[in-house]
Formats: sequence, C-alpha cells, structure tokens
Amino acid sequence: MKGLLLKDWYMTKKYFRYYLLVAIGFLFLSLVSKGNLFFIFYPCFLCGMIPVNLLGYDERSRFTEYVGTFPYTKTQIVSAKYLIGLFAQIAMLTVTGIAQGVKKSITHEFVLKEFLVLMMLLLIMAAITSSLTLPFIFKYGVEKGRMAYYVMTGFVCAGSIIFTKLLLGGNQVEIKLNAILPLVCLVCVGIYLLSWYLSIVFYKKREI
Amino acid sequence: MNALEIKNVSKSFSGFRLDNISLTLPSGCIMGLIGENGAGKSTTVKLILDMLHKDSGTITILGKDNGKDISLIKEDIGVVMDEVGMPECLTVKQVGRVMKHTFRNWNEAEYARLLQKLSLPDNKPFKDFSRGMKMKLGIAVAMSHGAKLLLLDEPTSGLDPVVRDEVVEMFYDFTRDENHSILISSHIVSDLERLCDYVAFLHKGKLLLCEEKDVLLSEYGIIHCTVEQLSALDKEIIKYRKETPYGAEVILPRKDAPEGFKLSPVSIEELFVFMVKEAR
Repeated sequence: MKGLLLKDWYMTKKYFRYYLLVAIGFLFLSLVSKGNLFFIFYPCFLCGMIPVNLLGYDERSRFTEYVGTFPYTKTQIVSAKYLIGLFAQIAMLTVTGIAQGVKKSITHEFVLKEFLVLMMLLLIMAAITSSLTLPFIFKYGVEKGRMAYYVMTGFVCAGSIIFTKLLLGGNQVEIKLNAILPLVCLVCVGIYLLSWYLSIVFYKKREI
Repeated sequence: MNALEIKNVSKSFSGFRLDNISLTLPSGCIMGLIGENGAGKSTTVKLILDMLHKDSGTITILGKDNGKDISLIKEDIGVVMDEVGMPECLTVKQVGRVMKHTFRNWNEAEYARLLQKLSLPDNKPFKDFSRGMKMKLGIAVAMSHGAKLLLLDEPTSGLDPVVRDEVVEMFYDFTRDENHSILISSHIVSDLERLCDYVAFLHKGKLLLCEEKDVLLSEYGIIHCTVEQLSALDKEIIKYRKETPYGAEVILPRKDAPEGFKLSPVSIEELFVFMVKEAR
C-alpha cells in the first residue's frame, strides 16, 4: 500500500497546495474572531475532503481502472484513501489545537474543559464529513457521489452555526454539551470505522 | 505449464455478452487476440485480471486460479491497457518511485534502461505526454518488475511506425525466455502476424477461432477467380468466400484446392476479415 500512499502524497502536494493557504487564512481568522467556529471547522472539513478530490483526479486520469492491474487488494485501495484523509485531518487537528491553545493561554482564557470540548467538536466534524461521503463515492463513483459532498458542505455550515450559538448561549447548555460530547465522539469514531468497512464492501462488489 | 487457461468464461452486460470463451496460452508463447472494436478484447483482459467478475467459467494464470489471491498473481503480470491511466501530475521519476513500492520485484535499473531506450523524459508530467509517450511509459512499467506474463491491450496504438517496430522487437525479446508469455490484442493485425505463435479471433463476444498461426497459414490458401468459377466450385471445400463486382476470392484448405487455380498464401488479416464477414 506504500506505493498508493506515495502516489496520493505526490498528488496532494501538487493539487492541494492552495488548501494550505486557505487553512492558514482560516486559522488566522479563527484566532482573531470571537468564537465563530466556522473558521475553526472549515480547514478540518477541507482536509476530510482531500480523499474525495483525490478520487476525482484518479477517475479523470483513469487511474481507478489502471490500479486494477497492480498487485493491490481492493481493501488496500480503499484504505489508502482513508489513511491519507486521516493523516491530513490529524495534522490539521493538531495545528488547530496548538493555535487555539496558544491563543487562549496568551489571553489568559485557557480552560481545559472548554478546550477539550472544542477538540471533540472538531473531531466530530472531521470524522463525520469523510465518513458519510466516501462510501457513496466508492459505490457510485465520484460524479454521483458528489451529491454527498454538497450535503456535507451544508452540514458543516449548519453545524458551525448551531455549535457557535450553543457555546455562546450560556453555561447550562455548555454543561449539557460537556456531558454528551464524549459519547458523541465515540459514536463518530464508530461511524468512521463503519464507513471504512462499508467502502471496502462496496468497492469489492464494484467492477472497474 | 500453461501461462494462461481460460475455460468456458462468459460475462454479460446489457447489450453485450462475452460468450463461453475458451483459450490456452502455453508458456513461452505469444497469442494475438484479434477483433473489431467492441468484440470483447478489453473485457477478456479485464476478466483475466478479475477487474470484471465473470458470470461463469474458470481462468488460471501461471497455474493459479485468478479468483484466489489475484493481487499476488499480479506481481507476475505486466499489463498495458488501451489507455495508460497514470495520474496526470506524476513525472516518470515519481512513477518509478511509486512502482518501487508497488511491485516486490521492481527493477530500477531495468526501468531506467527502458526509459532511455524509449526516449522518455525524466521530469515532464504525464499530462504533457503524447499518446505514444503514455503508451511507452505503460510498456516500461509493465516490463520492469520481472513479469512472466504480459497482457497487452492495444499496446502499439498511437505509436509511430519506427517506435512500434522497436516495441514489437522488445516483446519478441521478452519471450526468448521460455517462462515468458504474452497475450496481446491489437487492431494492427500485421504486428500480430509478425509476433504471434497463436491467434484468436473474437467477434461480437464469440471466439471464432484459436489456433497456432503456422498451422493456419499452412492449412489454408486463397484463390482469386470469377463468379462463374466460384459457382462451379464444390461448396463443401469452401471455407470462406467473398464476391465483388470484379470477381471472387475463396479461402479453402490447401489440400482441397482444385487444379487449374493459382493458390496464394492467405494472411491472418485476410482470414480474419473473411471469417468476420461470414459470421455477420
């Protein structure tokens, strides 16, 4: 699978350089804005969409067909896309976490509980976006699966607004959120793993 | 051991059926798969690689069932598809690095040698390659990992005659090793005629013929005659016939050739065209 990951890395470097600029811009906006979660969520969402867009490029160049001539299993082909997305999302979560932590420390507003809530929300958004998109794409191809991509974009925008309002809405809501979030996080990780498994099952049935 | 055995393989799509195909490619030999567009050549190659799931039949590659561990079997197969689907941003060097981590027996020195032989630039992205250059890169990849079987689907399309000649020579050299075999499909029947030990004719998903080339060429001959002479011939001996306003051409077994006619050697292309027209 190393070959597939290396190929995806070359493509990510070539096609998604501007994602880095967007991420830096949004990171900056998230540091100067007052609690608007959209600026924090969006770079993670972008990273989650890297595998989707890689599959689009693969389909356009007919690599999705050509890869069938190489000694890879379909499990490896699917897993390479999940792994490249996972690496990108972990990197973005780490950078965002560090930036938000430093910002809060400088302004003396750092509260561990609040910080953990933010990280969990990020994890949920990151896991859900690619979880719900990739199985559709592995089953129906990029063109048909793109609908799921648009739904996810809407999901991120709506989620950002709702979470921003909830977190700024008062302590009572925040406390409830604190209690539910770890469970939601676990469910999201479960959905992510289920999505990975379903993508493999769908792709094994698909003829290339 | 046979390099490839296809037995009673069928595959249906809406509007097309590959119907009960059986063919055997012995090790050390080259088989040409000849057919018009849509005859089922690419479908056959994809079924061999398990990229398409067969409805029935069995396929054995280098003694192993292709339904089991096909990814391991692919270590020993070099494939050139009718379109080489390399990612467009990759350079030849990057392709080499990717393939080094793809095939266990990747041979960097051989890859470098083939790149040089085929005059492929190191740092140009794949999207800037001409069709011919893309095919050449596909051929270099297919021949740089110690494959024992090459599956080549229209590998010479898009190549100029000089390079085509070089590539055909490379394939010929490949089978000097008695463990190496090639299944090659092409429209350019003259290439196949020169290269192949066996020929298989596909037409509308049906295998019309699979035979040793030399046997075919020695068995059949062609006579050119008038329409009146044609009608006087014994119909039993006529294998294939074609009538034109200027006369008639008849392919028949050499042993049955009637006296008084000049029997010419038949080419694989003529044989194929006659058979397909007859089958229509």
